[in-house]
Amino acid sequence: MRLYEKTASELSEMLNNKECSAEELCKDVLDRINETENKVGAYVSVSYESALENAEKIDTARQRGEKLHPLAGIPIGIKDNISTKGIRTTCSSKMLENYVPPFNATVINKINNAGMTILGKMNMDEFAMGSSTETSYMHLTRNPHNTDCVPGGSSGGSAAAVAAGEAIVTLGSDTGGSIRQPAALCGVVGLKPTYGSVSRYGLIAFASSLDQIGPMGKSVRDVAMLQSVICGHDKYDATSKVMEYPDYASNLKENAKGLKIGIPKEYFGSGIDDEVKDSVMKAIKELELNGAEIKEITLPSTEYAINTYYIIASAEASSNLARFDGVKYGYRAENYSGLTDMYEKTRSEGFGDEVKRRIMLGTFVLSSGYFDAYYKKAKRIQNRISSEFSSAFEECDIIATPTVPASAFKIGVNINDPVKMYYNDVCTVTANIAGLPAISLPCGMDSKNMPMGLQLIGNKFAEQTLLNSAYTYEKICGGFDALSKAL
Amino acid sequence: MKDYEIVVGLEVHAELNTESKIFCDCKNAFGLEVNTQVCPVCMGMPGTLPTLNEKVVEYAIKMGHALNCNINRICKQDRKNYFYPDLPKAYQISQADVPLCENGKLEFMVDREIKTVGITRIHIEEDAGKLLHDDSFAGSLVDMNRCGVPLIEIVSEPDIRSSAEAKAYLETIKSILQYIGISDCKMQEGSIRCDVNVSVREKGTAEFGTRSEMKNVNSFSAAVRGIEYEAKRQIELIEAGEKVIQETRRWDDAKGMSFSMRSKEDAQDYRYFPEPDLLTIVVDEEKISEIKNSIPELPNAKIKRYVTDFKLTQIDATLIAEDMEKSALFDACNALNICKPKNISNWILADISKFVNETGKNISETKLTPELLCAIIEKIEKNVISNSAGKTVFMEIIENGGNIDEIIEKRGLAQNSDTDFIENLVKEVFANNEKSINDYKNGKTNALGYLVGQCMKASKGKANPGIVKETVTKMLEAE
Amino acid sequence: MPLIKIFFPVRIYLICGRMEIIMNIDIKHIAKLSRLKIEDEKLDKFEKNMKSIVDMVDKLPEINDSLSLLDPTEPMTLRSDIAVTNKFKREDLLKNAPEVQAGCLVVPKTVE
Repeated sequence: MRLYEKTASELSEMLNNKECSAEELCKDVLDRINETENKVGAYVSVSYESALENAEKIDTARQRGEKLHPLAGIPIGIKDNISTKGIRTTCSSKMLENYVPPFNATVINKINNAGMTILGKMNMDEFAMGSSTETSYMHLTRNPHNTDCVPGGSSGGSAAAVAAGEAIVTLGSDTGGSIRQPAALCGVVGLKPTYGSVSRYGLIAFASSLDQIGPMGKSVRDVAMLQSVICGHDKYDATSKVMEYPDYASNLKENAKGLKIGIPKEYFGSGIDDEVKDSVMKAIKELELNGAEIKEITLPSTEYAINTYYIIASAEASSNLARFDGVKYGYRAENYSGLTDMYEKTRSEGFGDEVKRRIMLGTFVLSSGYFDAYYKKAKRIQNRISSEFSSAFEECDIIATPTVPASAFKIGVNINDPVKMYYNDVCTVTANIAGLPAISLPCGMDSKNMPMGLQLIGNKFAEQTLLNSAYTYEKICGGFDALSKAL
Repeated sequence: MKDYEIVVGLEVHAELNTESKIFCDCKNAFGLEVNTQVCPVCMGMPGTLPTLNEKVVEYAIKMGHALNCNINRICKQDRKNYFYPDLPKAYQISQADVPLCENGKLEFMVDREIKTVGITRIHIEEDAGKLLHDDSFAGSLVDMNRCGVPLIEIVSEPDIRSSAEAKAYLETIKSILQYIGISDCKMQEGSIRCDVNVSVREKGTAEFGTRSEMKNVNSFSAAVRGIEYEAKRQIELIEAGEKVIQETRRWDDAKGMSFSMRSKEDAQDYRYFPEPDLLTIVVDEEKISEIKNSIPELPNAKIKRYVTDFKLTQIDATLIAEDMEKSALFDACNALNICKPKNISNWILADISKFVNETGKNISETKLTPELLCAIIEKIEKNVISNSAGKTVFMEIIENGGNIDEIIEKRGLAQNSDTDFIENLVKEVFANNEKSINDYKNGKTNALGYLVGQCMKASKGKANPGIVKETVTKMLEAE
Repeated sequence: MPLIKIFFPVRIYLICGRMEIIMNIDIKHIAKLSRLKIEDEKLDKFEKNMKSIVDMVDKLPEINDSLSLLDPTEPMTLRSDIAVTNKFKREDLLKNAPEVQAGCLVVPKTVE
């Protein structure tokens, strides 16, 4: 077994016991990248030198007997919308193709302080807008289980890298499902934390009130360990929450007995593939057999969630992306006459079609005369969705649903149908709308031998309960075996 | 021609003199080398987030109290979206529907009358950068130092009815901002700016006419000129049967004219929506009271009080009120109830001001106290010493302190008001100055002054000059 | 146009009795506000895409819940007024700028 096949927690022990060095580990993963990247395309850029430098540094420190963080020396991939000082951060867009941030995102500082080895930046849908990574300006990312299929999006590169062994763990970002959906399609574990628990400082914004950075890995413990590194209040992010953040991994334990699991009927409708429904129900049944209680619940406003999401997300995005104007950084058109022409050409040439569509939609819903009809209406529904979840959590500890309606679709089939693409997010957007933590877990392969995902949603800031439930399910499965067999 | 009324509303932007900027911890300073007082946040780099400076909220509330506003202790910030090179994020974080302060009023004196102007709102927002142009250069240059400097915007109701009122309003706002210490109001540095809204209507009409908004008004006197020009322009349009267009115009002070800024079709659609990177602002009731209690009596209130209660002229009242030390001294002296307010004000505006200007010392740095000042004035009022003797005592006191009576005694400054003494004195002088008496009889009126001077000399300055003059005059007439 | 697979019950349209469709989104105006230029060849497709998206978002029901955009239950912690100097060098901050002159960003001539 090669080192890249192991989990972060396994490798952490091995490094601690000096069974391998951080350098050996780093080299092994870099080798894997070299072996597989031409098939997967998970990375926008790989930082060979600085990764090896960090690995060496950690080995030296360990030899000196310094006390190191459990994740020190563990190789990690970073989604390319998270600012890394001195390393190109492109959002997979022509607009930022050559942009090098002069500062680190707060989570990167935390990753660095823990001594983790940053391998490189992960491919994504342009500016995180998409569900397949097909809108990336850079290149396609392919699903490691079937390279004719999409890995999901927008954190497609992050999910694919984990499934292909090209990173031990990765960071993604999730605005409407962008961690969970690719995690489900690639058969790995992906957590979207509670809104406000992970600093957004340095995350290039898509929708400010919905975005969260989150961990992805092969096991629940890996995700829990990484979550503990990145979470915490940040004074540079006014939306981040001050509170006691537990050490999630140390407190991981099985909790099936007496666990109240809510099953909302709205997430099991006709739009969900039968195979997905069956496998999710099977997973839930397993938990029930181990002592959990199942409760049928209803979340009536679910049917408006996609519409609500698109109004709020596009509105915020249209404003967040206005700063890309060719003046201070990023792409600037070559030929223009006058300021307005410079703006228009720069933005039209720098952004892809999906980004332009969302900006236009956002501008439209905020424009004079439409603000009440769209934005305010969406906010009202958002409040309803939130309060329906609150009520549900009075009776339940967690809520279980499918993550995605179906397994990974073929590359190219949905790209010309934006609305069809948007409906990929039906099961995931509600957690963003309500600010709740949610995790996707592999729950079996379908008849096409492609992964399917089980989603668990928790109450605000109740990550421990959520992770414990996930851990319990993982134990029942005997582990997830997340690496793709196809490569 | 019909009788028209000018209706003016003013929007004042004032930069607050906090240590750091409104949404980042960059230093809030003027005049530094271009683009050296910036950081990723105020430059709008991707991934950056704003954090609100608590002092900005405090200062805005302070101004709200000073202008008698209701404070919205629960409010938010909103994004105002538009594209311009001096606006890095392509939106300005401001406040739209729930400003920090609302519904206030400001009283001030104009031509010895009290004028009240309503204050619609005060809100907080960030300043934009600066665009620099040069004819020799094909493009424009952007300096982002000013991005994120904290601003309050003070919007008045359209209650102003003349350019003089506008000027007085602006000067009062400025003096208050300086008095409560939240802005240094240096118009030449751009730390205070105003936009002027002008409309006209026939006197007696209830409806407002169409208004135009004028930008680039760079001084208070420019505001006066702008208002007068704009009112005239609008009246001429109406008289010619044309309509006034609602538009934004640019005031050109050098040319003495305003020009339409609307180069194209539609008005700006700012697409305001709540700033999602900031949470709701909630200010404690306690904090609001604390801020209110920290405000001293404001200059405009003082001016009103000095004119009304102490019968000072508006000019004198203004000169005293605008200086914190002078007004403190004036109030302390009046509280002692020993001498006349008018005399106190004269002393403050003449001798004390002169001393302060010449030595550069503050009153508080001298030995002069309200008690001492009043004692001197009282002696003069009671004719114990003459005015000029009083000045001598004052100069001694302000440098060295001491006891008034002792100084008068030591320096022999007591003046003689004994009428018998003076009559004899005058008689003696008359006896020695027949020529002058004859001159006076022959029409040379300045002989009177000469004779008074001789009496003062003969008495070594001790005689009460007023009584001397009276006696001399009386005796001359009797001759 | 391919059949759109609606994942949730269609009954909502019948209950509400209407399906609002914005017939004329002023694409050109929205593009102008967004400082985007849509090429003529792409305009048609763009307009169709936009319409179908707007159709989708337009399906929100009328609800009369009260709405406050303020949330005093989660008040913001404000930052202390302390300035920090010398965090960044000008050259580092302007490194990504397309055009710099005399320490300033260069843009096409922009006069008020």
